[in-house]
Amino acid sequence: MIDFQGYGWRLLDGALLTAELAALSLVLALVLGLVVASIKLSRSYALRGLALVYTTVIRGVPDLVMMMLLFYGGQIGVNMVVDQINAWAGTEIFIYVNAFAAGVITLGVIYGAYMSETFRGAFLAVDAGQMEAARAYGMSGWLAFRRVRFPLMMRHALPGINNNWMVLLKSTALVSIIGLSDMVRIADQATKATHEPFLFMVPVGLGYLAITGVSELAVGWLRRRYDTGFEGAA
Amino acid sequence: MRHCEGDATRMGDNAIPLVVRDLHKSFNNVSVLEGLSLEAHEGDVISLIGASGSGKSTFLRCMNLLEIPNAGEIAVHGETVNFRTRRGKREPADWKQVERIRARLAMVFQGFNLWAHMTLIGNVIEAPIHVLGKSKKEAREQGMALLERVGLAERAEYFPAQLSGGQQQRGAIARALAMDPEVMLFDEPTSALDPELVGDVLKVMRGLADEGRTMVVVTHEMDFARDVSSQVIYLHQGRVEEAGHPENVFGNPNSDRLRQFLGPRF
Repeated sequence: MIDFQGYGWRLLDGALLTAELAALSLVLALVLGLVVASIKLSRSYALRGLALVYTTVIRGVPDLVMMMLLFYGGQIGVNMVVDQINAWAGTEIFIYVNAFAAGVITLGVIYGAYMSETFRGAFLAVDAGQMEAARAYGMSGWLAFRRVRFPLMMRHALPGINNNWMVLLKSTALVSIIGLSDMVRIADQATKATHEPFLFMVPVGLGYLAITGVSELAVGWLRRRYDTGFEGAA
Repeated sequence: MRHCEGDATRMGDNAIPLVVRDLHKSFNNVSVLEGLSLEAHEGDVISLIGASGSGKSTFLRCMNLLEIPNAGEIAVHGETVNFRTRRGKREPADWKQVERIRARLAMVFQGFNLWAHMTLIGNVIEAPIHVLGKSKKEAREQGMALLERVGLAERAEYFPAQLSGGQQQRGAIARALAMDPEVMLFDEPTSALDPELVGDVLKVMRGLADEGRTMVVVTHEMDFARDVSSQVIYLHQGRVEEAGHPENVFGNPNSDRLRQFLGPRF
Protein backbone atom coordinates (compact mmCIF):
# COMPACT_ATOMS: atom_id res chain seq x y z
CA MET A 1 0.00 0.00 0.00
CA ILE A 2 1.36 3.40 -0.96
CA ASP A 3 1.96 5.76 1.95
CA PHE A 4 0.46 9.15 1.13
CA GLN A 5 2.05 10.60 4.25
CA GLY A 6 -1.26 11.70 5.69
CA TYR A 7 -2.50 13.42 2.50
CA GLY A 8 -4.57 10.45 1.27
CA TRP A 9 -7.99 11.54 2.52
CA ARG A 10 -7.43 15.16 1.64
CA LEU A 11 -6.49 14.12 -1.88
CA LEU A 12 -9.71 12.13 -2.13
CA ASP A 13 -11.68 15.13 -0.85
CA GLY A 14 -9.95 17.20 -3.51
CA ALA A 15 -10.92 14.68 -6.18
CA LEU A 16 -14.53 14.83 -5.01
CA LEU A 17 -14.49 18.62 -5.18
CA THR A 18 -13.05 18.48 -8.70
CA ALA A 19 -15.78 16.08 -9.80
CA GLU A 20 -18.56 18.16 -8.21
CA LEU A 21 -17.22 21.40 -9.60
CA ALA A 22 -16.90 19.90 -13.08
CA ALA A 23 -20.35 18.28 -13.04
CA LEU A 24 -22.19 21.38 -11.82
CA SER A 25 -20.27 23.64 -14.22
CA LEU A 26 -21.21 21.25 -17.03
CA VAL A 27 -24.91 21.52 -16.19
CA LEU A 28 -24.71 25.32 -16.14
CA ALA A 29 -22.67 25.38 -19.37
CA LEU A 30 -25.20 23.10 -21.12
CA VAL A 31 -28.19 25.20 -20.06
CA LEU A 32 -26.45 28.45 -20.99
CA GLY A 33 -25.25 26.95 -24.25
CA LEU A 34 -28.75 25.83 -25.24
CA VAL A 35 -30.28 29.19 -24.37
CA VAL A 36 -27.59 31.21 -26.15
CA ALA A 37 -27.70 28.94 -29.22
CA SER A 38 -31.46 29.38 -29.39
CA ILE A 39 -31.01 33.14 -29.12
CA LYS A 40 -28.43 33.11 -31.90
CA LEU A 41 -30.91 31.30 -34.14
CA SER A 42 -33.79 33.55 -33.13
CA ARG A 43 -35.07 36.55 -35.03
CA SER A 44 -34.38 39.14 -32.34
CA TYR A 45 -31.65 41.44 -33.55
CA ALA A 46 -30.83 42.87 -30.10
CA LEU A 47 -30.61 39.50 -28.35
CA ARG A 48 -28.46 38.09 -31.14
CA GLY A 49 -26.09 41.00 -30.69
CA LEU A 50 -25.80 40.33 -26.96
CA ALA A 51 -25.15 36.64 -27.57
CA LEU A 52 -22.43 37.51 -30.08
CA VAL A 53 -20.72 39.82 -27.58
CA TYR A 54 -20.89 37.07 -24.95
CA THR A 55 -19.30 34.34 -27.07
CA THR A 56 -16.74 36.68 -28.62
CA VAL A 57 -15.51 38.06 -25.31
CA ILE A 58 -15.50 34.77 -23.44
CA ARG A 59 -13.84 32.77 -26.17
CA GLY A 60 -11.29 35.46 -26.92
CA VAL A 61 -10.00 35.93 -23.38
CA PRO A 62 -7.88 33.30 -21.58
CA ASP A 63 -9.81 31.15 -19.12
CA LEU A 64 -7.50 32.13 -16.29
CA VAL A 65 -7.97 35.86 -16.86
CA MET A 66 -11.72 35.34 -17.12
CA MET A 67 -11.71 33.31 -13.96
CA MET A 68 -9.78 35.88 -11.93
CA LEU A 69 -11.98 38.64 -13.29
CA LEU A 70 -15.22 36.85 -12.46
CA PHE A 71 -13.93 35.39 -9.22
CA TYR A 72 -12.47 38.51 -7.66
CA GLY A 73 -14.54 40.97 -9.62
CA GLY A 74 -17.68 38.97 -8.84
CA GLN A 75 -17.58 39.73 -5.11
CA ILE A 76 -16.89 43.41 -5.74
CA GLY A 77 -19.66 43.56 -8.32
CA VAL A 78 -22.13 41.90 -5.97
CA ASN A 79 -21.08 44.30 -3.20
CA MET A 80 -21.67 47.30 -5.42
CA VAL A 81 -25.13 46.12 -6.38
CA VAL A 82 -26.03 45.21 -2.80
CA ASP A 83 -24.72 48.57 -1.54
CA GLN A 84 -27.01 50.33 -3.98
CA ILE A 85 -29.94 48.30 -2.74
CA ASN A 86 -28.96 48.92 0.89
CA ALA A 87 -28.69 52.66 0.30
CA TRP A 88 -32.05 52.70 -1.44
CA ALA A 89 -33.96 50.44 0.93
CA GLY A 90 -32.10 51.27 4.14
CA THR A 91 -31.20 47.62 4.74
CA GLU A 92 -27.86 46.11 5.76
CA ILE A 93 -27.56 43.10 3.53
CA PHE A 94 -24.21 41.52 2.75
CA ILE A 95 -23.95 38.71 0.23
CA TYR A 96 -20.83 36.60 0.49
CA VAL A 97 -19.82 34.96 -2.77
CA ASN A 98 -19.02 31.38 -1.86
CA ALA A 99 -15.78 30.26 -3.54
CA PHE A 100 -17.28 27.02 -4.82
CA ALA A 101 -20.33 28.75 -6.27
CA ALA A 102 -18.06 31.35 -7.86
CA GLY A 103 -16.02 28.56 -9.44
CA VAL A 104 -19.13 26.86 -10.83
CA ILE A 105 -20.49 30.10 -12.23
CA THR A 106 -17.16 31.09 -13.75
CA LEU A 107 -16.59 27.76 -15.45
CA GLY A 108 -20.23 27.50 -16.47
CA VAL A 109 -20.21 30.95 -18.06
CA ILE A 110 -16.94 30.26 -19.91
CA TYR A 111 -17.95 26.87 -21.26
CA GLY A 112 -21.50 27.99 -21.95
CA ALA A 113 -19.97 30.11 -24.71
CA TYR A 114 -18.28 27.10 -26.30
CA MET A 115 -21.36 24.94 -25.84
CA SER A 116 -23.54 27.55 -27.53
CA GLU A 117 -21.47 27.27 -30.70
CA THR A 118 -21.62 23.47 -30.52
CA PHE A 119 -25.42 23.58 -30.15
CA ARG A 120 -25.84 26.21 -32.84
CA GLY A 121 -23.99 24.09 -35.36
CA ALA A 122 -25.95 21.01 -34.30
CA PHE A 123 -29.31 22.79 -34.66
CA LEU A 124 -28.33 23.92 -38.15
CA ALA A 125 -27.37 20.36 -39.09
CA VAL A 126 -30.92 19.09 -38.53
CA ASP A 127 -32.80 18.70 -41.81
CA ALA A 128 -35.36 21.51 -42.02
CA GLY A 129 -38.01 19.07 -43.30
CA GLN A 130 -38.09 17.35 -39.92
CA MET A 131 -39.26 20.49 -38.14
CA GLU A 132 -41.56 21.36 -41.00
CA ALA A 133 -43.31 18.01 -40.56
CA ALA A 134 -43.60 18.66 -36.83
CA ARG A 135 -45.26 22.01 -37.47
CA ALA A 136 -47.47 20.63 -40.23
CA TYR A 137 -48.84 18.05 -37.78
CA GLY A 138 -49.96 20.70 -35.34
CA MET A 139 -47.14 20.50 -32.82
CA SER A 140 -46.59 23.58 -30.66
CA GLY A 141 -43.13 25.10 -30.57
CA TRP A 142 -42.20 23.45 -27.30
CA LEU A 143 -43.57 20.03 -28.27
CA ALA A 144 -41.72 20.12 -31.59
CA PHE A 145 -38.52 21.12 -29.79
CA ARG A 146 -38.84 18.35 -27.22
CA ARG A 147 -39.91 15.55 -29.55
CA VAL A 148 -38.14 16.40 -32.80
CA ARG A 149 -35.58 19.19 -32.80
CA PHE A 150 -33.74 18.38 -29.57
CA PRO A 151 -33.27 14.61 -30.09
CA LEU A 152 -32.19 15.10 -33.71
CA MET A 153 -29.84 17.92 -32.76
CA MET A 154 -28.16 15.96 -29.95
CA ARG A 155 -26.75 13.46 -32.40
CA HIS A 156 -24.73 16.25 -34.02
CA ALA A 157 -23.90 17.98 -30.75
CA LEU A 158 -22.53 15.03 -28.77
CA PRO A 159 -18.97 14.96 -30.14
CA GLY A 160 -18.60 18.70 -29.50
CA ILE A 161 -20.17 18.47 -26.05
CA ASN A 162 -17.78 15.67 -25.18
CA ASN A 163 -14.81 17.77 -26.31
CA ASN A 164 -15.95 20.78 -24.34
CA TRP A 165 -16.55 18.64 -21.30
CA MET A 166 -12.99 17.26 -21.37
CA VAL A 167 -11.53 20.76 -21.59
CA LEU A 168 -13.89 21.99 -18.88
CA LEU A 169 -12.88 19.16 -16.57
CA LYS A 170 -9.22 20.03 -16.94
CA SER A 171 -9.94 23.72 -16.51
CA THR A 172 -11.20 23.00 -13.01
CA ALA A 173 -7.49 22.78 -12.11
CA LEU A 174 -7.38 26.55 -12.57
CA VAL A 175 -9.59 27.07 -9.54
CA SER A 176 -6.72 25.86 -7.35
CA ILE A 177 -5.04 29.14 -8.21
CA ILE A 178 -7.98 31.15 -6.92
CA GLY A 179 -8.16 29.28 -3.66
CA LEU A 180 -10.40 26.24 -3.96
CA SER A 181 -8.99 23.01 -2.52
CA ASP A 182 -9.41 20.80 -5.54
CA MET A 183 -7.15 17.80 -6.01
CA VAL A 184 -4.48 19.77 -7.86
CA ARG A 185 -4.13 22.24 -5.01
CA ILE A 186 -3.92 19.49 -2.39
CA ALA A 187 -1.32 17.63 -4.42
CA ASP A 188 0.60 20.85 -4.91
CA GLN A 189 0.67 21.48 -1.15
CA ALA A 190 1.67 17.89 -0.45
CA THR A 191 4.44 18.01 -3.03
CA LYS A 192 5.85 21.19 -1.54
CA ALA A 193 5.80 19.69 1.95
CA THR A 194 7.25 16.27 1.08
CA HIS A 195 9.27 16.92 -2.10
CA GLU A 196 7.66 13.87 -3.70
CA PRO A 197 6.01 15.10 -6.91
CA PHE A 198 5.42 11.64 -8.39
CA LEU A 199 3.72 10.33 -5.30
CA PHE A 200 1.03 13.02 -5.60
CA MET A 201 0.91 14.20 -9.19
CA VAL A 202 0.60 10.75 -10.76
CA PRO A 203 -2.52 9.90 -8.70
CA VAL A 204 -3.95 13.29 -9.63
CA GLY A 205 -3.42 12.52 -13.31
CA LEU A 206 -5.05 9.12 -12.80
CA GLY A 207 -7.90 10.81 -10.97
CA TYR A 208 -8.68 12.94 -14.04
CA LEU A 209 -8.42 9.87 -16.24
CA ALA A 210 -10.86 8.04 -13.99
CA ILE A 211 -13.41 10.85 -14.34
CA THR A 212 -13.03 11.01 -18.12
CA GLY A 213 -13.21 7.21 -18.28
CA VAL A 214 -16.56 7.15 -16.52
CA SER A 215 -17.81 10.03 -18.64
CA GLU A 216 -16.82 8.18 -21.82
CA LEU A 217 -19.17 5.39 -20.77
CA ALA A 218 -21.98 7.89 -20.33
CA VAL A 219 -21.21 9.52 -23.68
CA GLY A 220 -21.21 6.09 -25.33
CA TRP A 221 -24.65 5.42 -23.93
CA LEU A 222 -25.93 8.80 -25.12
CA ARG A 223 -24.41 8.25 -28.56
CA ARG A 224 -26.25 4.95 -28.94
CA ARG A 225 -29.45 6.59 -27.80
CA TYR A 226 -29.30 9.52 -30.20
CA ASP A 227 -27.98 7.44 -33.11
CA THR A 228 -31.18 5.41 -33.06
CA GLY A 229 -32.57 5.37 -36.57
CA PHE A 230 -29.28 6.51 -38.10
CA GLU A 231 -27.21 3.33 -37.83
CA GLY A 232 -25.28 2.94 -41.04
CA ALA A 233 -26.60 6.26 -42.32
CA ALA A 234 -24.31 9.21 -42.90
CA MET B 1 -66.14 24.84 -61.77
CA ARG B 2 -66.04 25.58 -58.09
CA HIS B 3 -64.09 28.75 -57.73
CA CYS B 4 -65.49 30.86 -54.99
CA GLU B 5 -65.48 34.20 -56.66
CA GLY B 6 -65.70 36.82 -53.95
CA ASP B 7 -68.51 35.02 -52.22
CA ALA B 8 -67.94 36.09 -48.63
CA THR B 9 -70.62 33.90 -47.12
CA ARG B 10 -68.86 30.71 -48.14
CA MET B 11 -65.86 31.36 -45.91
CA GLY B 12 -67.94 30.58 -42.88
CA ASP B 13 -69.73 27.61 -44.40
CA ASN B 14 -69.32 24.73 -41.96
CA ALA B 15 -70.12 22.12 -44.58
CA ILE B 16 -67.10 22.94 -46.76
CA PRO B 17 -63.86 21.33 -45.55
CA LEU B 18 -61.51 23.92 -47.05
CA VAL B 19 -62.11 27.33 -48.53
CA VAL B 20 -59.26 29.54 -49.68
CA ARG B 21 -59.94 32.94 -51.09
CA ASP B 22 -57.82 35.46 -52.93
CA LEU B 23 -54.47 34.35 -51.60
CA HIS B 24 -51.47 36.57 -52.26
CA LYS B 25 -47.91 35.73 -51.38
CA SER B 26 -44.58 37.30 -52.19
CA PHE B 27 -41.03 36.51 -51.17
CA ASN B 28 -38.72 39.53 -50.89
CA ASN B 29 -41.11 41.62 -52.97
CA VAL B 30 -41.26 38.97 -55.70
CA SER B 31 -44.89 38.08 -56.13
CA VAL B 32 -45.45 34.31 -56.21
CA LEU B 33 -49.21 34.00 -55.71
CA GLU B 34 -51.55 36.58 -57.17
CA GLY B 35 -55.02 36.04 -55.88
CA LEU B 36 -55.63 32.29 -55.81
CA SER B 37 -58.87 30.76 -54.60
CA LEU B 38 -60.02 27.23 -54.09
CA GLU B 39 -62.94 25.41 -52.56
CA ALA B 40 -62.57 21.77 -51.57
CA HIS B 41 -65.89 20.09 -50.86
CA GLU B 42 -66.33 16.78 -49.13
CA GLY B 43 -64.78 14.07 -51.30
CA ASP B 44 -63.17 16.45 -53.77
CA VAL B 45 -59.79 15.62 -55.21
CA ILE B 46 -58.26 18.83 -56.51
CA SER B 47 -55.08 18.57 -58.54
CA LEU B 48 -52.81 21.58 -58.84
CA ILE B 49 -50.67 21.38 -61.94
CA GLY B 50 -48.25 23.75 -63.57
CA ALA B 51 -44.61 24.28 -64.43
CA SER B 52 -41.91 24.66 -61.78
CA GLY B 53 -42.16 28.09 -60.23
CA SER B 54 -45.84 28.47 -61.06
CA GLY B 55 -46.59 28.72 -57.32
CA LYS B 56 -48.47 25.46 -56.84
CA SER B 57 -46.38 24.24 -53.91
CA THR B 58 -46.41 27.64 -52.25
CA PHE B 59 -50.18 27.72 -52.67
CA LEU B 60 -50.47 24.34 -50.93
CA ARG B 61 -48.07 25.37 -48.15
CA CYS B 62 -50.13 28.50 -47.50
CA MET B 63 -53.17 26.32 -46.86
CA ASN B 64 -51.70 24.90 -43.65
CA LEU B 65 -49.73 28.08 -42.98
CA LEU B 66 -46.26 26.70 -43.46
CA GLU B 67 -46.08 29.89 -45.50
CA ILE B 68 -47.96 32.91 -44.28
CA PRO B 69 -49.92 34.53 -47.10
CA ASN B 70 -49.62 38.31 -47.43
CA ALA B 71 -53.32 38.58 -48.14
CA GLY B 72 -56.33 36.33 -48.48
CA GLU B 73 -58.40 34.07 -46.32
CA ILE B 74 -58.40 30.42 -45.32
CA ALA B 75 -61.24 28.57 -43.62
CA VAL B 76 -61.45 24.95 -42.51
CA HIS B 77 -65.01 23.75 -41.99
CA GLY B 78 -66.08 27.30 -41.36
CA GLU B 79 -63.26 28.22 -38.98
CA THR B 80 -61.48 31.18 -40.53
CA VAL B 81 -57.81 31.73 -39.71
CA ASN B 82 -57.33 35.03 -37.91
CA PHE B 83 -54.52 37.30 -39.00
CA ARG B 84 -53.09 40.47 -37.56
CA THR B 85 -50.44 42.91 -38.74
CA ARG B 86 -47.38 43.48 -36.63
CA ARG B 87 -44.58 45.86 -37.60
CA GLY B 88 -45.96 45.87 -41.10
CA LYS B 89 -45.91 42.07 -41.36
CA ARG B 90 -48.99 39.90 -41.50
CA GLU B 91 -49.00 36.96 -39.14
CA PRO B 92 -51.55 34.61 -37.57
CA ALA B 93 -53.19 36.24 -34.57
CA ASP B 94 -53.46 32.98 -32.67
CA TRP B 95 -50.85 30.26 -33.12
CA LYS B 96 -52.97 27.83 -31.10
CA GLN B 97 -55.61 28.17 -33.78
CA VAL B 98 -53.00 27.56 -36.47
CA GLU B 99 -51.85 24.39 -34.70
CA ARG B 100 -55.45 23.23 -34.42
CA ILE B 101 -56.08 23.83 -38.11
CA ARG B 102 -52.83 22.18 -39.17
CA ALA B 103 -53.81 19.06 -37.25
CA ARG B 104 -56.97 18.89 -39.36
CA LEU B 105 -55.07 19.22 -42.65
CA ALA B 106 -52.46 16.47 -42.70
CA MET B 107 -49.66 17.01 -45.18
CA VAL B 108 -47.62 14.59 -47.25
CA PHE B 109 -44.29 16.05 -48.38
CA GLN B 110 -42.21 15.57 -51.48
CA GLY B 111 -39.25 14.55 -49.33
CA PHE B 112 -41.38 12.34 -47.01
CA ASN B 113 -40.03 14.05 -43.88
CA LEU B 114 -40.67 11.07 -41.65
CA TRP B 115 -39.01 11.72 -38.29
CA ALA B 116 -35.71 9.94 -38.65
CA HIS B 117 -35.25 9.03 -34.99
CA MET B 118 -38.60 7.27 -34.68
CA THR B 119 -39.73 3.92 -36.02
CA LEU B 120 -42.41 3.83 -38.68
CA ILE B 121 -45.16 3.09 -36.15
CA GLY B 122 -43.60 5.72 -33.89
CA ASN B 123 -44.01 8.26 -36.69
CA VAL B 124 -47.63 7.25 -37.22
CA ILE B 125 -48.66 7.50 -33.56
CA GLU B 126 -46.58 10.57 -32.64
CA ALA B 127 -49.03 13.35 -33.47
CA PRO B 128 -52.20 11.40 -32.56
CA ILE B 129 -50.77 10.92 -29.05
CA HIS B 130 -49.07 14.27 -28.46
CA VAL B 131 -51.26 16.58 -30.54
CA LEU B 132 -54.66 14.90 -30.56
CA GLY B 133 -54.27 13.44 -27.07
CA LYS B 134 -55.14 9.85 -27.95
CA SER B 135 -54.07 7.03 -25.67
CA LYS B 136 -51.00 5.05 -26.67
CA LYS B 137 -53.00 1.88 -27.01
CA GLU B 138 -55.68 3.38 -29.21
CA ALA B 139 -53.15 5.22 -31.38
CA ARG B 140 -51.10 2.08 -31.82
CA GLU B 141 -54.08 -0.06 -32.81
CA GLN B 142 -55.21 2.50 -35.37
CA GLY B 143 -51.64 3.04 -36.53
CA MET B 144 -51.06 -0.66 -37.15
CA ALA B 145 -54.31 -0.89 -39.11
CA LEU B 146 -53.17 2.04 -41.27
CA LEU B 147 -49.75 0.51 -41.88
CA GLU B 148 -51.56 -2.68 -42.86
CA ARG B 149 -53.56 -0.66 -45.31
CA VAL B 150 -50.53 0.87 -47.03
CA GLY B 151 -48.85 -2.54 -47.04
CA LEU B 152 -46.21 -1.85 -44.39
CA ALA B 153 -47.45 -3.70 -41.30
CA GLU B 154 -44.39 -5.93 -41.16
CA ARG B 155 -42.14 -2.84 -41.39
CA ALA B 156 -43.71 -1.12 -38.36
CA GLU B 157 -40.56 -1.29 -36.23
CA TYR B 158 -38.20 -0.18 -39.00
CA PHE B 159 -36.63 3.26 -39.03
CA PRO B 160 -37.13 5.53 -42.08
CA ALA B 161 -33.48 5.11 -43.12
CA GLN B 162 -34.09 1.38 -43.46
CA LEU B 163 -36.98 1.84 -45.91
CA SER B 164 -37.11 2.61 -49.63
CA GLY B 165 -38.45 5.95 -50.80
CA GLY B 166 -41.76 4.40 -51.82
CA GLN B 167 -42.14 2.70 -48.46
CA GLN B 168 -41.31 5.95 -46.67
CA GLN B 169 -43.91 7.82 -48.68
CA ARG B 170 -46.58 5.20 -48.02
CA GLY B 171 -45.59 5.41 -44.35
CA ALA B 172 -45.96 9.18 -44.53
CA ILE B 173 -49.46 8.71 -45.96
CA ALA B 174 -50.28 6.42 -43.03
CA ARG B 175 -48.97 9.14 -40.70
CA ALA B 176 -51.29 11.63 -42.38
CA LEU B 177 -54.28 9.27 -42.21
CA ALA B 178 -53.67 8.72 -38.50
CA MET B 179 -54.76 12.32 -37.93
CA ASP B 180 -58.12 11.46 -39.51
CA PRO B 181 -57.74 14.73 -41.41
CA GLU B 182 -60.56 16.66 -42.98
CA VAL B 183 -58.40 17.47 -45.97
CA MET B 184 -55.15 15.81 -47.03
CA LEU B 185 -52.52 18.00 -48.65
CA PHE B 186 -50.04 16.30 -50.99
CA ASP B 187 -46.98 18.25 -52.08
CA GLU B 188 -45.58 16.44 -55.14
CA PRO B 189 -45.72 13.11 -53.31
CA THR B 190 -44.08 11.08 -56.10
CA SER B 191 -41.52 13.57 -57.42
CA ALA B 192 -38.65 12.29 -55.27
CA LEU B 193 -39.29 8.62 -56.04
CA ASP B 194 -37.61 6.23 -58.43
CA PRO B 195 -39.98 5.56 -61.34
CA GLU B 196 -40.66 1.96 -60.31
CA LEU B 197 -41.81 3.07 -56.86
CA VAL B 198 -44.27 5.71 -58.05
CA GLY B 199 -47.00 3.18 -58.86
CA ASP B 200 -47.39 1.87 -55.30
CA VAL B 201 -47.80 5.37 -53.88
CA LEU B 202 -50.29 6.39 -56.56
CA LYS B 203 -52.26 3.22 -55.93
CA VAL B 204 -52.63 4.14 -52.27
CA MET B 205 -53.70 7.65 -53.26
CA ARG B 206 -56.28 6.34 -55.73
CA GLY B 207 -57.66 4.17 -52.94
CA LEU B 208 -58.01 7.25 -50.73
CA ALA B 209 -59.82 9.13 -53.48
CA ASP B 210 -62.16 6.18 -54.01
CA GLU B 211 -63.14 6.11 -50.34
CA GLY B 212 -64.08 9.77 -50.57
CA ARG B 213 -61.14 11.48 -48.90
CA THR B 214 -60.93 15.19 -49.56
CA MET B 215 -57.55 15.85 -51.10
CA VAL B 216 -55.55 18.69 -52.60
CA VAL B 217 -52.66 17.32 -54.64
CA VAL B 218 -49.77 19.18 -56.20
CA THR B 219 -48.55 16.80 -58.87
CA HIS B 220 -46.71 16.23 -62.08
CA GLU B 221 -48.50 12.90 -62.60
CA MET B 222 -50.90 13.90 -65.35
CA ASP B 223 -52.54 10.47 -65.56
CA PHE B 224 -53.36 10.66 -61.89
CA ALA B 225 -54.67 14.21 -62.22
CA ARG B 226 -56.83 13.25 -65.18
CA ASP B 227 -58.22 9.97 -63.82
CA VAL B 228 -58.70 10.73 -60.15
CA SER B 229 -59.38 14.46 -59.78
CA SER B 230 -62.76 16.05 -59.49
CA GLN B 231 -61.12 19.35 -60.39
CA VAL B 232 -57.85 20.36 -61.99
CA ILE B 233 -56.31 23.79 -61.54
CA TYR B 234 -53.54 24.84 -63.90
CA LEU B 235 -51.36 27.58 -62.46
CA HIS B 236 -49.09 29.90 -64.34
CA GLN B 237 -46.98 32.56 -62.64
CA GLY B 238 -49.10 32.61 -59.54
CA ARG B 239 -52.44 32.85 -61.30
CA VAL B 240 -55.09 30.36 -62.33
CA GLU B 241 -54.66 29.99 -66.04
CA GLU B 242 -57.32 27.35 -66.42
CA ALA B 243 -59.42 25.25 -64.08
CA GLY B 244 -62.26 22.82 -64.26
CA HIS B 245 -63.22 19.20 -64.62
CA PRO B 246 -60.27 17.08 -65.82
CA GLU B 247 -62.20 16.04 -68.92
CA ASN B 248 -62.34 19.65 -70.05
CA VAL B 249 -58.92 20.70 -68.84
CA PHE B 250 -57.15 17.78 -70.45
CA GLY B 251 -59.53 17.04 -73.28
CA ASN B 252 -60.26 20.53 -74.45
CA PRO B 253 -57.84 23.09 -73.02
CA ASN B 254 -58.65 26.70 -73.82
CA SER B 255 -55.27 28.19 -73.08
CA ASP B 256 -52.33 27.83 -75.42
CA ARG B 257 -50.01 27.69 -72.48
CA LEU B 258 -51.85 24.74 -70.98
CA ARG B 259 -51.84 22.97 -74.35
CA GLN B 260 -48.12 23.50 -74.52
CA PHE B 261 -47.66 22.34 -70.93
CA LEU B 262 -49.62 19.16 -71.46
CA GLY B 263 -47.76 18.34 -74.65
CA PRO B 264 -48.89 16.14 -77.53
CA ARG B 265 -49.99 13.25 -75.32
CA PHE B 266 -53.28 14.80 -74.28
